Amino acid sequence: MTTLIQAKNLSKSYGTHQALKSVDFSVERGRIVGLVGPNGAGKTTVLKAILGLTSYEGELKVLGLDPNRQRHEIMQKVSFIADVAVLPRWLKVSNALEFVTEVHPNFNLERAKHFLAKTNIPMSAKVKELSKGMVAQLHLALVMSIEAELLVLDEPTLGLDILYRKEFYNQLLAEFFDEGRSILVTTHQIEEIENLLTDLIFIRDGKIVLNDSMDKVSENYIEVMVSKDDAEKAEALNPVMQRDVFGRKVYLFEGVSREELEPLGELHSPSVADLFVAKMKEGK
Amino acid sequence: MTAITWNDQQPIFRQLKEKVIELIIDGEVSDGEAVPSVRQVAADYQINPLTVSKAYQELVDESILEKRRGLGMFVTESAREKLLSTEKTHFLEVEWPKILERIERLGLSIQILVNDQQKKNEEQ
Repeated sequence: MTTLIQAKNLSKSYGTHQALKSVDFSVERGRIVGLVGPNGAGKTTVLKAILGLTSYEGELKVLGLDPNRQRHEIMQKVSFIADVAVLPRWLKVSNALEFVTEVHPNFNLERAKHFLAKTNIPMSAKVKELSKGMVAQLHLALVMSIEAELLVLDEPTLGLDILYRKEFYNQLLAEFFDEGRSILVTTHQIEEIENLLTDLIFIRDGKIVLNDSMDKVSENYIEVMVSKDDAEKAEALNPVMQRDVFGRKVYLFEGVSREELEPLGELHSPSVADLFVAKMKEGK
Repeated sequence: MTAITWNDQQPIFRQLKEKVIELIIDGEVSDGEAVPSVRQVAADYQINPLTVSKAYQELVDESILEKRRGLGMFVTESAREKLLSTEKTHFLEVEWPKILERIERLGLSIQILVNDQQKKNEEQ
């Protein structure tokens, strides 16, 4: 099986508020997919539906299973770190390892110990004695030690300093990710993960506004810095966004060929952050 | 490998490829030596493993790197020589004509520059 997640017409309403409006997307094996959207766009609802933590309408298959009815089976093959992930403050690190060993059939205790040995976290420490970064390391050690095919990360580095954030993704790539697994990640710190992703999904007001591989994204979206004299020519090509930098104009084009744009100036790939801003403003 | 700052004008796999070429030409990685694994490079630079594979694959296609089964990726025996010759050709065919043009535009000539340099060398 190469498709790990398949969603078709996925919808979810909370009362009268429609959080997801008939969304389609898929996640293939061996991919790292970024799900990006402003607060309240529906990211967490998507993740909750995948994990079987909320009811939904439409079709959703995770590892070929139905999250509404087969949550238990899914949980054996999927790992998850939530932005609100909390471990009980009184819990000792060694207790946490014992607990996961007990409850999770695919947990590899030796692996977890191996990861923890590389950190400054003592086995005897209680969660309340650990710094926020250390708690995140502990979480990661637990989650990476589960033989999961799919790892779901919801704002995994929220509130961590830059050293821990880098270390987090470094560990993930060095010790966990391979072509047999997939990672689905949401984060507001897009610039940190943009080179990590194979695929990008933008979600806005419960709808998907961009869903492509990173290769396609860099083919489709090109930024050009244009001198004032060429501004008219650039505008004739229908840029999706423009901004001013040092008195020159930077235009963002969607689906315009490099050959057409080259005469206007130097071509750049927009950062995912710039692209995100453009897509969120579009039509507003 | 040392830190890389990526620019946004070229795909990252191409920039990584250029970096590896630079390391080989500068002799930081020698012929026959192993290069870091895809996983290692991906983790170090926080880039997708596919990006690293793509860069390595192009270098394999150009016989700069070779895959040794079970051992990893290595610089080929003649890699540096090959790269130097490509770079020389590139310099002579692309860069040098531009420099020459600039020399002439500035009202200088190769002869003047050579004489100048010789004088400086003698003084030293």
